[in-house]
Amino acid sequence: MIDLTNHLTTDEIELWAQGLLPAARAIHLADCSLCRVEAGRERKVILELVQLPRFAPRAGFGDRVMAKVKVPTPSGDFTA
Amino acid sequence: MRRYERPVFSLLYRMVRDRALAEDLAQETFIKVLNGIKSYRPEFKFSSWIFKIANNAAIDHLRRKNLDTLSLDGSPNAETPDQMRATQLQLGDRAESPLAEVESRELGTAIERAIARLRPEYRSCIMLRHVEGYSYEEIAETLDLPLGTVKTYIHRARNELRGYLEDRRD
Repeated sequence: MIDLTNHLTTDEIELWAQGLLPAARAIHLADCSLCRVEAGRERKVILELVQLPRFAPRAGFGDRVMAKVKVPTPSGDFTA
Repeated sequence: MRRYERPVFSLLYRMVRDRALAEDLAQETFIKVLNGIKSYRPEFKFSSWIFKIANNAAIDHLRRKNLDTLSLDGSPNAETPDQMRATQLQLGDRAESPLAEVESRELGTAIERAIARLRPEYRSCIMLRHVEGYSYEEIAETLDLPLGTVKTYIHRARNELRGYLEDRRD
């Protein structure tokens, strides 16, 4: 008999969205329409988030940083 | 450093939503990292250390900005009409610049606009979790927050994002 009151927690829904939900809890999800609706909504947001692009700074960013980094000289001083 | 350029810049860009400013803050972050490399503790994940410095730079900036917020009518400290004009926000100039067009293209999608509406603390947690793939424990360590707080922030953030995105679809 499936316990239909022991609903999935938000952590478990996240596990499910990643395909990591333990089988015993997946059985609950299959039988509980409340959890299925909730999990479906949560998965949509997670999918949008994981597909976000990474942006790049303008070309030459690394050179601009290195121009401002203090580099130790042989005497132990630092130059900018 | 190249390996961390995009992740750090992306986090900062989504935090401050201004390309030039995000680049300044990313530059400040890497200079601090490279100049302070001797203070790095190896038991700490290197990328976490960089993200910690970047996040602090963004949060500091946003706090300062809140203190210095100018109204559309000019600074509250302006006493004469000339001072008010001089301190008014110039929305037109920015909206027409090529950089603003790039920003609008990059950050104009529904999910990016929804992220922008989150509290900064939620924003950094959600970015580290879902864009960088950090575990809750790593986020707690990076942002110096209790584990329970990180979980709460991420769950609330996703809940708010769902609300914003579903409102848009209605």
